[in-house]
Amino acid sequence: MASSANGGGNPSGLEALHRLASTEPALYLTQSPELSKSARIASESLFAFLNDYVPKHVLSRLSTEGFDAEQIWQQIDLQTQPLLSSLRRQVRNFEKNPSEIGKQFNLDRDGVKEDNLRVDGKNKETDSIESESEDFDDDDDDVDEDEEEDEEDEEEEGGEDDDENDEGENVKGVEDKFLKIKELEDYLVEDEEREYGVKKEKGNKRKSGKIADEDGEDKNEEGDEDEDYELGLMGLGDDGSDMENARYDDFFTSQKKTSQKKKPKYDDESDGMDMDEPENDDSDQTKQSLSTHEKELEKLRAEIEEMERANLEPKTWTMQGEVSAAKRPKNSALEVDMDFDQNVRPPPVTTVEDTASLEELIMKRITEGQFDDVQRAPTLLNKAPKERKEMDENKSKKGLAELYEDEYAQKTGLVSTALSFSDEQKKEASMLFKTLCLKLDALSHFHFCPKPVIEDMSVQANVPALAMEEVAPLAVSDAAMLAPEEVFSGKGDIKEETELTKADRKRRRAKKKRQFKAESVKRMAVKTQLSTLKKHENVAGNGES
Amino acid sequence: MENPSAESSAPTAMDLETAAAAAPPRKPQVLFAQKPNFRPLKAHEISDGQIQFRKISVPPHRYTPLKKSWLEIYTPIYDEMKIDIRMNLKARRVELKTRTDTPDVSSLQKCADFVHAFMLGFDVIDAVALLRMDELYVESFEIKDVKTLKGEHLSRAIGRLSGKGGKTKFAIENSTRTRIVIADSKIHMLGSFANIKVARDSLCSLILGSPAAKVYSKLRAVTSRLAERF
Repeated sequence: MASSANGGGNPSGLEALHRLASTEPALYLTQSPELSKSARIASESLFAFLNDYVPKHVLSRLSTEGFDAEQIWQQIDLQTQPLLSSLRRQVRNFEKNPSEIGKQFNLDRDGVKEDNLRVDGKNKETDSIESESEDFDDDDDDVDEDEEEDEEDEEEEGGEDDDENDEGENVKGVEDKFLKIKELEDYLVEDEEREYGVKKEKGNKRKSGKIADEDGEDKNEEGDEDEDYELGLMGLGDDGSDMENARYDDFFTSQKKTSQKKKPKYDDESDGMDMDEPENDDSDQTKQSLSTHEKELEKLRAEIEEMERANLEPKTWTMQGEVSAAKRPKNSALEVDMDFDQNVRPPPVTTVEDTASLEELIMKRITEGQFDDVQRAPTLLNKAPKERKEMDENKSKKGLAELYEDEYAQKTGLVSTALSFSDEQKKEASMLFKTLCLKLDALSHFHFCPKPVIEDMSVQANVPALAMEEVAPLAVSDAAMLAPEEVFSGKGDIKEETELTKADRKRRRAKKKRQFKAESVKRMAVKTQLSTLKKHENVAGNGES
Repeated sequence: MENPSAESSAPTAMDLETAAAAAPPRKPQVLFAQKPNFRPLKAHEISDGQIQFRKISVPPHRYTPLKKSWLEIYTPIYDEMKIDIRMNLKARRVELKTRTDTPDVSSLQKCADFVHAFMLGFDVIDAVALLRMDELYVESFEIKDVKTLKGEHLSRAIGRLSGKGGKTKFAIENSTRTRIVIADSKIHMLGSFANIKVARDSLCSLILGSPAAKVYSKLRAVTSRLAERF
């Protein structure tokens, strides 16, 4: 059924596959309906081919007409999911019961079986490549891990033969005129060589005879970990107990001895597919043969070395401390953008506005005549300047006799000599000043300075100062009024009534009495005189009459 | 001479006495010796009626100035001092003689001093002060009395004394009211005693080498003092 199905759908599908394989990878990026059509045909054929192995048919065939990539993908997924789970189940069965493998596959035809197995693996592989490479590979990884461990523990060199035997049965079923397992194998070897480098070749060459079938199997079942698996098997085959005594050096250092390549394949795989590369011994390994991790490590190492070299060398002049002009190359300071502080304030930049404003100010000042000239502060003399006779250095015009004559005349006052110039002026000045002072003092109502005494005869009216002030606008001091002692017309020590002692009172009374008596006596005298006069008159009158 | 004067005066005294007696006699008259009342002596009488002479020789360099200012000399001597004056050309002398009506004894000496001052080199108007004032004197000294100077030093000293255009000399004259004559090494000063002293001090300091400014400053201080006295 499978073959017929394969035979029926295969030619067109194979053609399509061929066509796809032959096209340039770059052409895939362009939108070409031919490519898509051929892809659809190829996937249809493959789907039909695989449908036989599916335990449960969900879709009878892959319908690609009018469907877009997502929908086709979903259909393929529907088929492959149960297929994968069944395969897993089967592999687990095989693990537990290795004998069943022989039953499953025909042990007669080892090569065919192997081929078939290979073909199966290859088909799966192609499927994975075309449709779901990553998932498949991941699954493969898991599968491979399990397989490896089991095989390491249980199977040793003997197991390899069994595997070979087991594989030989199924091979024949898969292989046909189109798909040569051998060709496939060769292709895979080439590819791996390309990817992993020379080491692989070596390994292949050495182990080719021993583990050819194993390689095939491994390659079929593993994606990119063929070498790993193979090497792991190889190394671990020799010393199985190295698993517990694994060291860093085993993993990450490049070992010069090429015989034993202990490549562990452990959890580092999680980083990616290509992380589990063994270290390269050869120092002149090209970049292609290095893995990403190795490349990164190389880069880091190169950087570190460069930095160390830079540190050891003397620093550039910009990095040194105080560098004078002699210590750096000529004109090197021009190239460097230097940043430094200067304590000196930059000189003020004169702008047109500044000069214009300045000139304006100057012109204004000139027109006003306001120059800020420094004027000497007038020093006040605290005493009158001494009259100094100028020393006359000329021959005196007067004779000695005349000099003495003049002097004598002045002294005796015979000649009314004119006062010296300064005296006259002095007098006038003093008079003026006195009048001025009077006026100024009147302004302050003479509270601090009395009127200057100008002696002249004038009658002073003893009018109260208050009255005078009211009348006159200027104030008049009361200093010119009669003084109290002038007003007082008594003599001696005046005592008030309350101050008198008893004796004083007696004295006063006595005095008063005396005065009264004297007065009375006088009055009496006057009276008597008058009376006598009258008497005389009377007598005279009487005499006459 | 005295007797006729005494005789003439006696009756006057007597007259007085009689006049006094004529007054109502309240107090008893006492006879005392008469206090002689003498008239002041004339110059002629002082010298016992003898005429006195003075002779002043004229140095050659003063001959021409004497001739020029003869009348200025002659007039005050003859008219005011009443002294006879004549010039003896042959002997090159000025001769002075008292007259009978010469009022003062000292007038002859004054005239002689006046003429002598003129001969020393003073101007007539300055020398006339001698005639008019009593307290004026003439003092002379030589530079070598102050400091022994020879040759150029002497010349420089003389230059210092007089100053530029005579200004130092005039400054001293004006400030001290004296008159100074510098004749080579001889220096003559005319003035009152104190003033001469001041002038002499200044001149001596000039001779000794002090600069004129210093002398001026001292003079200023002194003259103010001198002026304040009056």
